[in-house]
Amino acid sequence: MASTSRGDYIPKVQCPNHPEAILVEDYRAGDMICPECGLVVGDRVIDVGSEWRTFTNEKETKDPSRVGDAQNPLLNGGDLTTMISKGTGAASFDEFGNSKYQNRRTMSSSDRAMLNAFKEITTMADRINLPRNIIDRTNNLFKQVYEQKSLKGRSNDAIASACLYIACRQEGVPRTFKEICAVSRISKKEIGRCFKLILKALETSVDLITTGDFMSRFCSNLGLPKQVQMAATYIARKAVELDLVPGRSPISVAAAAIYMASQASAEKKTQKEIGDIAGVADVTIRQSYRLIYPRAADLFPADFKFDTPVDKLPQL
Amino acid sequence: MEPSNDVALDIIVSNVVSVFRTRCHLNLRTIGLEGSNVIYKPEEGKVLMKLRKPRITASIWSSGKIICTGATSEEEAKLGARRLARCLQKIGFKVRFSDFKVVNVLAVCSLPFQIRLIEFTKNNRPIASYEPELHPAASYRIKNLRSTVQVFSTGSITVTGPNVQSVASAVEQIYPLLFECQKTRS
Repeated sequence: MASTSRGDYIPKVQCPNHPEAILVEDYRAGDMICPECGLVVGDRVIDVGSEWRTFTNEKETKDPSRVGDAQNPLLNGGDLTTMISKGTGAASFDEFGNSKYQNRRTMSSSDRAMLNAFKEITTMADRINLPRNIIDRTNNLFKQVYEQKSLKGRSNDAIASACLYIACRQEGVPRTFKEICAVSRISKKEIGRCFKLILKALETSVDLITTGDFMSRFCSNLGLPKQVQMAATYIARKAVELDLVPGRSPISVAAAAIYMASQASAEKKTQKEIGDIAGVADVTIRQSYRLIYPRAADLFPADFKFDTPVDKLPQL
Repeated sequence: MEPSNDVALDIIVSNVVSVFRTRCHLNLRTIGLEGSNVIYKPEEGKVLMKLRKPRITASIWSSGKIICTGATSEEEAKLGARRLARCLQKIGFKVRFSDFKVVNVLAVCSLPFQIRLIEFTKNNRPIASYEPELHPAASYRIKNLRSTVQVFSTGSITVTGPNVQSVASAVEQIYPLLFECQKTRS
């Protein structure tokens, strides 16, 4: 058993046989090993591995290896703060029943608003079941806008809602303004304003919305079968190609196409139902429907099975 | 591409907004009581005065700053502003007509063809913006002229800019771009 050479000014751990050899550290066993002869030189080196073994299928909330929350480096810039949590035992309450140590230390006050906004974004996204990647993108956008400070006067919630809208667009799954309105307390007008301001501030642009982006969502919400959905997608695309509906919002055209497709199939939906799901007034659906009705025969896909033939389609 | 010289486009100036100062404090209450064709809005702290001859509406603030809207040409705007200052002078204020400036000119123009907005927006990506959910027109901002052109699919366009000259140049500039994206009967 080798030991550190005493009497030296610098206690240096070295192998007695090979003083020049650089010792290899085996942290698992806590040893320093000489690579030349394999002699274990130093022992009882502090083990930096995890104290507890963690298995992936155990409850994920409690990870005994961690000593704090998972760091969010992209967004926060590393807040290593200590908070005082609410007490559990009887000793943490003084007389009158108030808890001692009431003040949980404020964490990173400069980013408090940003953290609040992230929470709000997650809440909003949760209401419409948006996946994690959109939430992350929204958080990134919000962070960029917040750091730029060009939209400082605007309500954070409005900016968060607009960021959510932009993120959905950028990921290729756009949500209508009305859908975002439904999960946010901000008006459509304000979200629209913030949307334009953010695009200018970040100097990005977004792709135009098409009718096909919304088909799968609207049709599944209405419970229409795949055949009808495909037919509606085809009708809407054809209608825009043939330019039968100039100046109409793609949402209205999509709604009218769904109406036409559903009326031609066995699953007939009323204009009111479709208007409810799409966020479009039923008179708007009627208007767009009137524009596509004359060419109805051309708009249907070739392999569509008609439950109601084209000439028996309702004429509004 | 056909040059725009061949086509005579009617650019109709529909609104000219101008500002000027009277260089003296105005008592809005007096104007509200003694002036003719006035509306006093104490909550907003201004008086609206409407003139008949050049059909003009003016917002008058107590600081002496006045905004004139509704004129159909720059000369008319100046004439209306002067007439307004004369009205205030008659009420009894020591009005000095100064710092007259035309701030905004709005013109409409109807092109003889319809326009494919989606194609137009794709061709002019960052400068043109089209949000069908928010507004049915595509808006095209010309930075050096400080003008904005709103293009509708029917072929009508509205142009706003700081003066009539810039509005005319904006129409000239945008005509070839719109001509490319017109909707031809095919």
